Amino acid sequence: MSKNLHIAPTARSWRDIPQPVKPRAMSREGKWRLMTSVLRAMGATLVMGGVAWGLWEVTRGLQETPRKMPETARAVAIKQLELRTDGVLDNAWLARTLALPKQASLMEVDLQSLRLRLLASGQVHAATVTKNFPDTLKVQVGERSPVARVMANWRGESRALVVARDGVVFEGVGYGAAMLATLPWLDGVKLTRTADQYQPVENMGLVAELLARARLDAEHLYQTWQVVSLARLESDGTIEIRTKPGTTVVFGVNGDFLQQLAKLDYQWEALATAPNPPRKIDLSLGREVSVSFQPLPNFNLVPHSQPKTKL
Amino acid sequence: MSSRPTFLGAVEIGTSKISVLVGEYTGRELAIIGCGECSSRGVIKGGVVDYKAASECTHSALEQAERDAGERIDHVFLAQTGGHLEGFYNEATVTVKALDNMIDAGDIRTVCDLAKSKELPTGRAVVHHIRRPFRVDGSLVSSMPENIGGQRLEVGYWTVHGQEQRLADNIHVIRGFNLEVRELVLASLAAGHMVTTPEERRHGVLVLDIGAGTTDYVLHRDGAPHTTGVVPVGGTHLTNDLSIGLRLTDGQAEKLKLRFGRASVTTKDKATKVMLDGNFAIGDRQFPQQAIEQITAARTWELLEVVKKKLGNAFSPETCAAGVVLTGGTAKLAGIADVAAKVFGVSAHLGEAPTWVSENLRDPSYHTSLGLLYYGVSSQADKSPPIRRAGGFFTGVKRLFANS
Repeated sequence: MSKNLHIAPTARSWRDIPQPVKPRAMSREGKWRLMTSVLRAMGATLVMGGVAWGLWEVTRGLQETPRKMPETARAVAIKQLELRTDGVLDNAWLARTLALPKQASLMEVDLQSLRLRLLASGQVHAATVTKNFPDTLKVQVGERSPVARVMANWRGESRALVVARDGVVFEGVGYGAAMLATLPWLDGVKLTRTADQYQPVENMGLVAELLARARLDAEHLYQTWQVVSLARLESDGTIEIRTKPGTTVVFGVNGDFLQQLAKLDYQWEALATAPNPPRKIDLSLGREVSVSFQPLPNFNLVPHSQPKTKL
Repeated sequence: MSSRPTFLGAVEIGTSKISVLVGEYTGRELAIIGCGECSSRGVIKGGVVDYKAASECTHSALEQAERDAGERIDHVFLAQTGGHLEGFYNEATVTVKALDNMIDAGDIRTVCDLAKSKELPTGRAVVHHIRRPFRVDGSLVSSMPENIGGQRLEVGYWTVHGQEQRLADNIHVIRGFNLEVRELVLASLAAGHMVTTPEERRHGVLVLDIGAGTTDYVLHRDGAPHTTGVVPVGGTHLTNDLSIGLRLTDGQAEKLKLRFGRASVTTKDKATKVMLDGNFAIGDRQFPQQAIEQITAARTWELLEVVKKKLGNAFSPETCAAGVVLTGGTAKLAGIADVAAKVFGVSAHLGEAPTWVSENLRDPSYHTSLGLLYYGVSSQADKSPPIRRAGGFFTGVKRLFANS
């Protein structure tokens, strides 16, 4: 069997001939070639060593820099807070909101946490915080505009808050009392509190659109609006406005607000001479307008069949 | 693997000239990018007899080739020839071990080791083990016989060996240029691979590489080299014969051989004379053309007869259907193909390089160098792992600077 065969060792091959040659056995070209090879190897080693040393120096420098920088940066505290806004917020609010320690330096502040603090106020929808060395912190904010007021419990007391177009409820810092007085109150909404804030009011976009349209095209009507109720918005698709004279105006959200306002304006003028202001004007019925009045206080029904006779 | 190509050198240290080709091998493609050539000194019949002179010529050719290529050669494939090269055939048979008679890798390894395990006389070293096709139960198997059913597995090796000292001399000439010899390739194998097609090798073809000092031959049968050999007779002998016969210097005889030499006598008129230089200058002499042709034809005929005799039973017109292919510098002798056809009794033609070889390298004297690159790369690619550069990390770094 083949496994019992004896195999003689393989004969000597040309590969067994040693190839190394002493330099003295080399020709001039060979020696030159060997020398250039050695020089190149040395050059390569030097370059590699240089690169490695450079990397080590850079790494060491980077490691040491953070220790050195605070020493210089800590010496300069933030002296100036620069605020740029498209609204009403001021530097006092900024200082209050950021609540930076007195000797805080630019190197110590965390821009991301400052930005989150600004956004947490609700009045700010966009914020950019920039370090301007050596001692200035620049803040640029975009503010929300209030469209209505709402009474709510805020930090343990009942007070008026404002609601923005996107439904965000916020404190409303920096607005004048006269400006706030022009905003109608919001009613029929259920505010849900999460942590330190209320969740945005739903469907506020529709309300904001109605209010903006009224303010723009029928300001005389808008000025009479006192309360905007969203109580029947989800169920009936209507927004109820209670006016100062006591009339309730019902708008349908499926109809065009401009047309409804035009009808309201017409009715309002037509009913101006009426002895009593109407109790309710319903504009949500499409082409028809339903106007209901309050009954006159001294009005008595007399049957026709029994005419009043003079005695 | 690195994407950097390997620069291979093919070196043929011949009796009349030393040629070097530089190939750029990317792992898939081989492009010839440089060429160097130098008249040979210190080499007789393919063997180095003057180490210093041979080294100078070889290094000069290597330098020229590197300059032409614009790259440093990584390692070298060296052609090997010379009268000291001999070959023998040894075969072995094993009985397949498995119960189901399925041949496995172990059987193949055993039979191959057995066939190669012939001891050589002292001072001899193996140059090539050329495997002939396997036989399973007497039937030829062209590929590896693994997983083929059979009871008896046979294989034969044609082993080419040479004098270790002569081989070492050639290697040290290259090492003197601070280059590594990656592969030693028999000149006839290299040239044969270049001038024959796989179909010709399958049908049987005899390749004669007639150089200046030696004539290398390889007989292909069944797609593989069957027999190789070297006859220490070449073009220089024709020159010598002319020199002695016509009382000329070697230079004059060489000139006459190149201009008027023929492998057969075609001049009928004895009075037809040819001029040595043809310029009618003082010293220019006339020689009978028939005499020149008789001298060169006699030696050529004799050379081919010697080759035929050395081939013996291995060669027969039936087993050599593709005929004889002639290559090498002396193959340019007029009428040699016709003579070869008469001697061997088969068709004969001059070998031509493949069409992708550029015009300036199509001369028969470059066939061996081209074949060296081609054969060397093929044999390296067959082995796994593929060609790798010698040295480690720092060698790679060195090469970065070598190319800059």
